Amino acid sequence: MEPDVSIETLSIIRIAVLPIGTIPPPLLRDYHSMLLRHHTIALSAISSFYTEHQKSPFTNQPWDSGSLRFKFVLGGSPPSPWEDFQSNRKILAVIGLCHCPSSPDLVSVTESFNVACRSYSSALVRRCFAFCPGDSQLEDGDKKGENLILFPPSDKQTQEFHLQTMMQDIAASLLMEFEKWVLKAESAGTILKTPLDSQASLNSEEVIKAKKRRLGRAQKTIGDYSLLAGSPVDANAHYSTALELARLTGDYFWYAGALEGSVCALLVDRMGQRDVALEDEVRYRYTNVILHYRKSFIQEIAQRVSPLSFELEATLKLARFLCRRELAKEVVELLTNAADGAKSLIDASDRLIVYVEVARLFGELGYQRKAAFFCRQVAQLYFQQDNRLAAISAMQVLSMTTDAYRIQSRASVSKVSVNNETGSRQPDAGKMHHHSIVSLFESQWSSLQMVVLREILLSAVRAGDPLAAWSAAARLLRWHYPLITPSGQNGLASSLANSADRLPSGTRCADPALPFVRLFSFPLHSSQVDIVKRNPAREDWWTGSAPSGPFIYTPFSKGDTNESSKQELIWVVGEPVQVLVELANPCCFELRVDSIYLSAHSKNFDAFPVSVDIPPNSAKVITLSGIPTAVGPVTIPGCTVHCFGVITEHVFRDVDNLLLGAAQGLVFSDPFRSCGSAKLRHVFVPNISVVPPLPLLVANVVGGDGAIILYEGEIREVCINFANAGTVPIEQAHVSLSGKNQDAVISIADEALQSALPLKPGAQVTLPVTLKAWHVGPVDSDNAVGGGRNAAGNTGRPKDGTSPSLLIHYAGPVSNNGDPQEKETVVPPGRRLVVPLQICVLQGLSFVKARLLSMEIPAHVGDNLRDEDIETESNTDRLVKINPFRGSWGLRFLELELSNPTDVVFEISVFVQLEKSAKEDDSSPVQDSPEYEYPKTRIDRDYSARVLIPLEHFKLPVLDGSFFTKDPPPGTPSSSRHPSFSEKNTKAEINGLIKNLISKIKVRWQSGRNSSGELDIKDAIQTALQTTVMDVLLPDPLTFGFRLVRNGSETKAQSPLSKGSVLSHEVTPMEVLVRNNTSEAIKLNLSVTCRDVAGQNCAEGADATVLWAGALSGISMEVAPLQETRHCFSLYFLVPGEYTMVAAAVIEDANNVLRARARTASPNEPIFCRGPPFHVRVTGGEM
Amino acid sequence: MANTACFIIVGRNDIPIYEAEVGSAPKREDAAQLHQFILHAALDVVQDLAWTTSAMSAKLPSFLVVLLNPLYLPGSRITSSHFDTKVRALARKYL
Repeated sequence: MEPDVSIETLSIIRIAVLPIGTIPPPLLRDYHSMLLRHHTIALSAISSFYTEHQKSPFTNQPWDSGSLRFKFVLGGSPPSPWEDFQSNRKILAVIGLCHCPSSPDLVSVTESFNVACRSYSSALVRRCFAFCPGDSQLEDGDKKGENLILFPPSDKQTQEFHLQTMMQDIAASLLMEFEKWVLKAESAGTILKTPLDSQASLNSEEVIKAKKRRLGRAQKTIGDYSLLAGSPVDANAHYSTALELARLTGDYFWYAGALEGSVCALLVDRMGQRDVALEDEVRYRYTNVILHYRKSFIQEIAQRVSPLSFELEATLKLARFLCRRELAKEVVELLTNAADGAKSLIDASDRLIVYVEVARLFGELGYQRKAAFFCRQVAQLYFQQDNRLAAISAMQVLSMTTDAYRIQSRASVSKVSVNNETGSRQPDAGKMHHHSIVSLFESQWSSLQMVVLREILLSAVRAGDPLAAWSAAARLLRWHYPLITPSGQNGLASSLANSADRLPSGTRCADPALPFVRLFSFPLHSSQVDIVKRNPAREDWWTGSAPSGPFIYTPFSKGDTNESSKQELIWVVGEPVQVLVELANPCCFELRVDSIYLSAHSKNFDAFPVSVDIPPNSAKVITLSGIPTAVGPVTIPGCTVHCFGVITEHVFRDVDNLLLGAAQGLVFSDPFRSCGSAKLRHVFVPNISVVPPLPLLVANVVGGDGAIILYEGEIREVCINFANAGTVPIEQAHVSLSGKNQDAVISIADEALQSALPLKPGAQVTLPVTLKAWHVGPVDSDNAVGGGRNAAGNTGRPKDGTSPSLLIHYAGPVSNNGDPQEKETVVPPGRRLVVPLQICVLQGLSFVKARLLSMEIPAHVGDNLRDEDIETESNTDRLVKINPFRGSWGLRFLELELSNPTDVVFEISVFVQLEKSAKEDDSSPVQDSPEYEYPKTRIDRDYSARVLIPLEHFKLPVLDGSFFTKDPPPGTPSSSRHPSFSEKNTKAEINGLIKNLISKIKVRWQSGRNSSGELDIKDAIQTALQTTVMDVLLPDPLTFGFRLVRNGSETKAQSPLSKGSVLSHEVTPMEVLVRNNTSEAIKLNLSVTCRDVAGQNCAEGADATVLWAGALSGISMEVAPLQETRHCFSLYFLVPGEYTMVAAAVIEDANNVLRARARTASPNEPIFCRGPPFHVRVTGGEM
Repeated sequence: MANTACFIIVGRNDIPIYEAEVGSAPKREDAAQLHQFILHAALDVVQDLAWTTSAMSAKLPSFLVVLLNPLYLPGSRITSSHFDTKVRALARKYL
């Protein structure tokens, strides 16, 4: 049997094409393909070569329309035992092909051609075509016999023409030989035998029948030659005779043969014009042909020879003739019969041919699955041959089935898509490719797929094609690992390795093996290198551009897939980027990935390979990085993996489809899930574009990047180092704050940064930032209470989100100098650097409570309430110590109770800031330091302590330094700064005053060498002061003082007993000083009392112990605003001892201010003012 | 002749959604494959017929039961053991 047969095959002349001498294979192929173009030679074209020697037996030859047809059999073929039966099986001509440059000796060429021709006894014409002869060869070529034809070197067209002429010559020669043969056969007869003819049957008694039979066979053969000679009418005539004779003699085999010939003649006659009637005729006759071939079956010799192959061939011929979609049912039936019949064929190669033909015809019919089925049958037959060529054939045949079984290599798939892409650049090309990959996963004929892949692997191994073997093993392992036993998986792994050993290093394969690679995430820019669109029109060019605000995902964009898929990612030339991918190895062996890197089809990305080991049944997320090298878009469709010795491309989308299939239950298993990795998560691949280099600011906190640990209220300056790590200078920079606790940043030395601009690449600048730790809130308190204790060990991380961040928006030059082609309108983007200030606030001193204490210290009456006494002492002392002579009435202290829950020691110091107005008084040394510091208070760990803050000095007029003296030098004009009391008497004013007051008190602490801060106790003080603020702040309208008047003068002549002591039995002149603290004159009625130790008024009554001169009561006086008025009197103490002088006054015609101060309810109520008690010590005089 | 039959329901895109090997003959690995190969090849004709005849859809009530199951995802495998026993019972009845 032969492949590729059709009904017309009977009319085709078979020519062996033999290479003579050595011909390089590509040249042989070229020459052969030149020949192939001349497969049909029109009869009209050969008339010039044709000479009619005798009367041609082909009387009806169509010289106008007919033609001779050739089949060129390269390498020739052995003679068939069925040559007599079908003349087209004979090799009727031999063409030798010779390449002169490689065979210089034409004599030997001729010889070897003649030798080669010897095995083709049936050949009627022999020619040897010698191409490209040299000059010398051309010279003596003509002598070498007429069979050697030299094709002088010339252009292709001339050569083609030359060859055509030669073929026409051959055709004419053949035609003449056919005529000769037919004439001979008609006159002399011929004996024609087939292997079916047994000796016994020839020697039969029926001689006449045998003769007739012989005649019939001869007629059939003449018909064959007529067909070959291109004369269907003659052929038909001879076939009719042959049919008649064969029918009469019961020569079924030859009958069938003649019938076949007649059908062929019919078709040749019609010259390809088909209609239904012709089809019916062919079908009818061929059914007969098949029937008669079947009839000619001889049981006795069935083991040796059988006409079955002819029956099947006829069946296939009919099937080929009918092979149309509309007749599919009929064709399928024929092909099924043929395939069934093939099982009883004796020759395995015949069976193979039947299957090949069946497969081809099914394929032509569009039945790809059936075609695949028979292809596999063919492959199995090839397998049985057990040689390398058969294995190659098996591999090739099997690879044809891969489409139907959906296990195609990506090499074949991508070839199609590449063609599409280069051809039409249609965007769907990728989609088609995508689709076919999808179907690969969707199909679940896994057992078939595995069988076929295994067979491909086996045949590739046998055929010695390591790449095909690798590819098949890779497909098998990748797509079917869940169904393969561990030992099978190991076997595949080793066959991958073995195949790779035979491949040159660096071989690429279109089919990826392991691992499965999926995109894990495209990390957006870290906050360190954020890129911000720049609005050149605005000073604050960063505003209005994303990302702004603390939310990376806003609720508006979430869930809107369109929006997310349009996500843009900007990479910068020269700055490394990272992409996270997850690798899965679902197999039972440890997988070593020699290298894996991102594959960017755009040429502007340098990827860095990494190698990774993946343990059995596990998945790993790895970071792949690379550097964009040029401006433009970047696409990263997958990874390039070097594993099992071969380089493969792993496309993310494939795995995504696989996972999608797994999620829908279409695919066996999800390799990531089976490796214990998380569920399917969809990663949107953003559009990535690369922009020209930008400046890159990096920041680090001087002294380490760890958390800055601060106690509550601690103030510390932190230096942050900024460096430009990019290649472009920074020309604009702006620092702002974000996040919680922004007020913890007291100051940023922005000017340090601004003055450093432009910051050249590599340049650095240090930015001092002053921080003040916030209070640990109640939410954090559990953390802080324990945290204070274990702070030393567990200083770790500050709670997320509580620390403020510095936002630095910076940008390079507006115009892109580096790239002149860049449009002016495109402003390179700026960047944003987020420097989180990792502040960890530990609970420090805790405030327990604040109280207002009041205290009274009585004053002594003396004559030396003088400045010099006081001035000897320091200013600080003045604030703390109480002048014993002046005393203090209604002295108020603010007591703060603090506890220290930490494990360090704190030292507290209180600072009071005084009014600067003190400067006006030149005599006051206060001017240099308006702050006064009280001695430090130390609070040990786990202890509490109280801090007292005297509030005396905050009384409004007291704030004036001159008030200390109580007794301004006469003539000194009162300070204009003394506020008008009435103006101040509004609530807002008072609140302001309180605030003012509070702000002047600062409680600072220090711990260790470098922790210091301030307690935020303003609220506490305010609460403590709220009710008594009037008393604290506002002075009494009138203040009283007593003084001794010595010797009627106020000079400083002092007696030894001067220190405030008074002698009994002596007239002691005294004066009472009344000061008006308001801004209006006050009329008053003053009275002075003197009491003894028992509290009895001792200046009045019958038993008065004190005599007096002057007025002690009912003294009416008017005191000018802010002035003092004195009233003199004298006392005469009869008894030594302690006395107390008290001055009191009733204010007449009090105004509203006074009433408000006195908190009187009715306007008629008298306002009574009382001074503090003054002590007088009376000692016994020299009696 | 070994009395075996292979019954496969094939869904859209050639995806087999149910397979059952019915019959009395002892199971053989290669036979099962061969059945599958043959069934796969037979799909060509089935596919052709599906376009030309309407006899396919109405006749198979028990399959409709599966397809009517609201939890059934078209294209995924039928794993119901109930369905499996039913098919095998039908096979015993008719083969």
